[in-house]
Amino acid sequence: MKQVITLNVNGAPYAVAVYPSQTLNEVLREELNLTGVKLGCGSGDCGACTVLVDGLAVSSCLSLAVDMEGKAITTVEGLAPSGEVLHPIQESFIEKGAIQCGFCTAGMEMSAFHLLKYNPSPTEAEIKEAISGNLCRCTGYVKIIEAIADAGHKMANTGGETS
Amino acid sequence: MNQFSIVGKDVPRNDARAKATGSAIYTDDVKLPGMLYGQILRSPFPHARILHIDTSQAASLPGVRCVMTGEDTPKVKYGNWRLFPETQDEYPLAIDKVRFIGDEVAAVAAVDPDIAQEALSLIKVEYEELPGVFDVDAAIKEGAPIIHDYCPSNISVNRKIKYGDIDKAFAESDYVREDTFHVHAVSHAYLEPCAAVAQCDLDGRITLWTSTQVPYIIQCLLASTLQMRENDIRIIKPFVGGGFGGKMELRTWEFCAAFMAKKTGRPVKFTLTREEEFLTGRRRHPMTIHSKVGFKKDGTLTAKDLKIYLDGGAYNAMGPTATFLCGNFGAMLYRYPSYRFHGQHVYTNKPPASAMRGFGAPQSIFATETQMSLAAEELGLDPLDIRLKNAQVSGDTIPDVATISSCGFIEALNKVAEMSDWREKRKTLPKGRGIGIGCYSFISGGVFNWFNTQYPFSAAEVRAFDDGTAHLLTMAADIGQGCDTVLKQILAEAFGLTMEDIRITSADTAITPQADLGAWGSRLTLMNGNAVLDAANKIKAQLFGAVSARFNLNVIHEIECKDGKVYPKGRPDRSLSFGEAVAMAQKINRGEPLVARGYYTPRNKGLVTPSFSFGAQVAEVEVDQATGVVQVQKFWTAHDCGTAINPMAVEGQLEGSIQMGLGYALSEQFVMEGGKTLNTNFLDYKMPSSMDVPPSEVVHIETYEPEGPMGAKEAGEGLAIPTAPAIADAVCHATGYRCKDLPITPEKILRAKRDR
Amino acid sequence: MSLSHFDHYAPATLEEVFSLLQSKGPGARVMAGGTDLLLKIRHGALKPKYIIGLKNIRGLKTISFDASAGLTIGATALLAEVARHPDIVKHYPTIAQAARGTANPQIRNMGTVIGNLCNASPAADNAPTLLAMDAQIRIRGPEGERVLPLDQFFKGPGVTALVPLEIVTAVHVPAPPPNTGTAYLSLSARGKMDCTAVGVATMVTMTGKTCAGVRLFVGACGPVPLRAPKAEDILRGQELTEEVVEKAGTQASAESRPISDMRASGDYRTEMVAVLTRRVLREAHHRALAC
Repeated sequence: MKQVITLNVNGAPYAVAVYPSQTLNEVLREELNLTGVKLGCGSGDCGACTVLVDGLAVSSCLSLAVDMEGKAITTVEGLAPSGEVLHPIQESFIEKGAIQCGFCTAGMEMSAFHLLKYNPSPTEAEIKEAISGNLCRCTGYVKIIEAIADAGHKMANTGGETS
Repeated sequence: MNQFSIVGKDVPRNDARAKATGSAIYTDDVKLPGMLYGQILRSPFPHARILHIDTSQAASLPGVRCVMTGEDTPKVKYGNWRLFPETQDEYPLAIDKVRFIGDEVAAVAAVDPDIAQEALSLIKVEYEELPGVFDVDAAIKEGAPIIHDYCPSNISVNRKIKYGDIDKAFAESDYVREDTFHVHAVSHAYLEPCAAVAQCDLDGRITLWTSTQVPYIIQCLLASTLQMRENDIRIIKPFVGGGFGGKMELRTWEFCAAFMAKKTGRPVKFTLTREEEFLTGRRRHPMTIHSKVGFKKDGTLTAKDLKIYLDGGAYNAMGPTATFLCGNFGAMLYRYPSYRFHGQHVYTNKPPASAMRGFGAPQSIFATETQMSLAAEELGLDPLDIRLKNAQVSGDTIPDVATISSCGFIEALNKVAEMSDWREKRKTLPKGRGIGIGCYSFISGGVFNWFNTQYPFSAAEVRAFDDGTAHLLTMAADIGQGCDTVLKQILAEAFGLTMEDIRITSADTAITPQADLGAWGSRLTLMNGNAVLDAANKIKAQLFGAVSARFNLNVIHEIECKDGKVYPKGRPDRSLSFGEAVAMAQKINRGEPLVARGYYTPRNKGLVTPSFSFGAQVAEVEVDQATGVVQVQKFWTAHDCGTAINPMAVEGQLEGSIQMGLGYALSEQFVMEGGKTLNTNFLDYKMPSSMDVPPSEVVHIETYEPEGPMGAKEAGEGLAIPTAPAIADAVCHATGYRCKDLPITPEKILRAKRDR
Repeated sequence: MSLSHFDHYAPATLEEVFSLLQSKGPGARVMAGGTDLLLKIRHGALKPKYIIGLKNIRGLKTISFDASAGLTIGATALLAEVARHPDIVKHYPTIAQAARGTANPQIRNMGTVIGNLCNASPAADNAPTLLAMDAQIRIRGPEGERVLPLDQFFKGPGVTALVPLEIVTAVHVPAPPPNTGTAYLSLSARGKMDCTAVGVATMVTMTGKTCAGVRLFVGACGPVPLRAPKAEDILRGQELTEEVVEKAGTQASAESRPISDMRASGDYRTEMVAVLTRRVLREAHHRALAC
């Protein structure tokens, strides 16, 4: 039986009827059309589906949508809500060449967002650990790590406040 | 060196913003009204005859709109090697027989994926199991089960190369060694699982959005398998989440989506699961490599006799190319005065191997490089010196294969030795630490027209506008490697415009000019880049005419496009803006838009490629003597890709290649039992994570490739080659274990230690 | 690929959990983080009709520490919370380390230590350390609570001592005696982000130069995490010289019963038990002396 739940995604409430067996990933992609959230493996191993739930980076493919009532969900679409001005993480990913095929990018950015929120000037080892659940086949991670460090600097310089 | 404005700059990708914000549309993101969801029924047996398929129950499940088997199709075989139709051995859905676990048997389209899944379970297939063969030795044995009736030997491709008097050369050698190597299968492991969405127009034509590297090839093969005309098929490549060679053939779901869209009148989408990808997906060819090499006492190469068996799996896929290329690469890097190669592509009851980054070279050159180091040891030479002594140089020819037009190999060897402090470390590193070298050469696109296209290999259309902008249309497929950006850079450079002035439309077969063979063999920068330049030059000729007329210039003036202006060289005061020049040219042609098409087909470039890249890599490792666990400490790489059009993108290719090479060397493999892939998730298919990739230093060796656009050549694949041999050599230096069968595992290292 | 359908409940009290378990029968499963359970459902290994989420139950998420009473980790406390909890990092560093070494960051933000134990994988990263530290598992059923030493909890791959209607509410770790050190090491083919192929944990208590107490557990080398009692015997009452440690490693290796699978061969695992045993003993010994 479907049940109607209210999801708070990127600051907006969405009333949506879901099966209890539907994952957050399915609901975000199929019901809310937030297709920036990817599905790379469906078993929590690749990180392409990473979103933030109450500030924690989680795999949306292993989260039940019904468990998300009353929680604040942030997807890649919520990183730069104004659309025009990008989040420093996005800027740095673009400038540093951290994006190739782009399929891991949204998940990587969300893991980076989670890290920088708690630790604005992480060491290289901390960055590597923070994205260790996000697989990338294109970049060898090098430029992603550089981009996250760079975004940390940018955010520190703006007092962590972003659009 | 030429002075460039945009070429050679770290320009961010043109699609980076879309990807960073999540607005880039990939195939599975495409959703059309009324769309059906498809699923594929796959064979549970590695080899079996299909006796009977009953789809009636599945078809009557509410919500199911279409169920199809091979019997419903026109039964046209396909394969990329159209030039040799006998190599085309695959049907979109199995006819009569299945040949590997995962072979596609039937497909269902339903109103939601759950119903489609349920319908699959209602299809009843009666099989008669047949004995299977799972390695080359078993497959070529007398009396082995025959996998394809047309091919009783199970050897589907034979390729031979021979030059020089090899028997005499071996007889006159001071030192001859023979080794056998086994290299394994690995997965492309692109992050985006394959997907396709098909829609049928009112007039019965098909539009297919698909995650592919080869829109043109899909268009042609889909047309032939559906028995439609090429122009009735439109392929649109949305953003693609990586390919690495794994998305360069027509695949079942593309055919079924189109077939079912036509049949039901509704759009149909297929998206593979990660399990399907690992269980049944294409992979790198495992090979058994017998190599005999001869040397003079001083380390000079005299001869090489190379015999390779490729374990092709159940179908040819891109195996014929791999068979050709591993032989061609066997003769690369070093000067072999005489050379003989025999490659045989063998059918087995496993998922088909196919193209994968490096395409036959990582396997073949692993053997080359390991033997060079082994020979150096036995001849008392430094592994670096034996390479320097035999290294190919610009102008070298490989009979029947190619002439090397630019080559920075020796410079790369010297540079990488200097960067890594090779000579010192090779002598002084303590036990458990080691340093090793691996080298590579790779092609910049293929010359051999196996697809038998009637079109140029690459094409570009350029439209210039009087507002100072230009529009580039090309069928080239950006799959994440960045060709859209690089091609834009080339055009911006040619026109003296900025990146913002150039719009690009790519990889839509109904709109972009015929044709482009696709994103493989590191061909796009050189081949499509040349096509873009050809088109740009045709436009420039008209602009130059306009400027000459406007300023009444002497015909001897050289004219250039720079900084948004068109002017006679040395006389920027007599300039028109690019847009003004376009307007003038249009006026001359009475309003006709300024449009040009450019083409590139390599001619008179031998049989393999117009140009080769080269490079060398050094790895330093630490091996835990008790556990056998290898930690790579650092990589140093020096490589020659000609002009780096976009150095940041080139570095990205290099860094990604290292990750792939690291996995190939140490951690990635398919664990198989009776033809079944057991590790079907990223937990057990061990692709390196951010924690596993060591630091690395890179130097570009500057060369200028005369055949390439603005001096550029290959940068996307070659670097996947040297990492495994470099690590293997370093592990040997650290432990004495010389790996001849990849991957290098802790268990193998410990076993070797015990056996000593 | 979708999950098979089920109904979902998120009760606020344990009483409601038990009444749901009772009324729904064997088709009901309780779920903490869900990272193992949902995977099993996705792969068709489980098809529960009802899922009872535990996350809304107050008090189950608590991590409490008291210098004399020890550490209690509630059933829904996340792996990430255990990994970075200041008291755990300070007083039970090996427990924090094992939690931090489980799966990947996203899974650690969803999954729980108790879930890792209840999943009863022989390779569970959190089991060997908790076993070595003589943890007890708190089990609640409709009839009340029972406490079981963790080393009696694992019965086989995927099988625990829980009977129908029971759930685990917490794991309790006693305060270690003075001069005690612990250590855990695991090995896998791909660096840190991997399923453990061999894991060994120990707790060593020293009196002067003598090893007064020791517990040694091996993960992923048998149907359940295994204790190595004979290896412990070699150590107990002895000075932990290289020779003794060497012997204990060999003995632990003899006591393990690994299988060969896609992650490692049985022979390699057996050999690695000896290597890791020696390494954790040295490390725990060193830490015990440093207290």
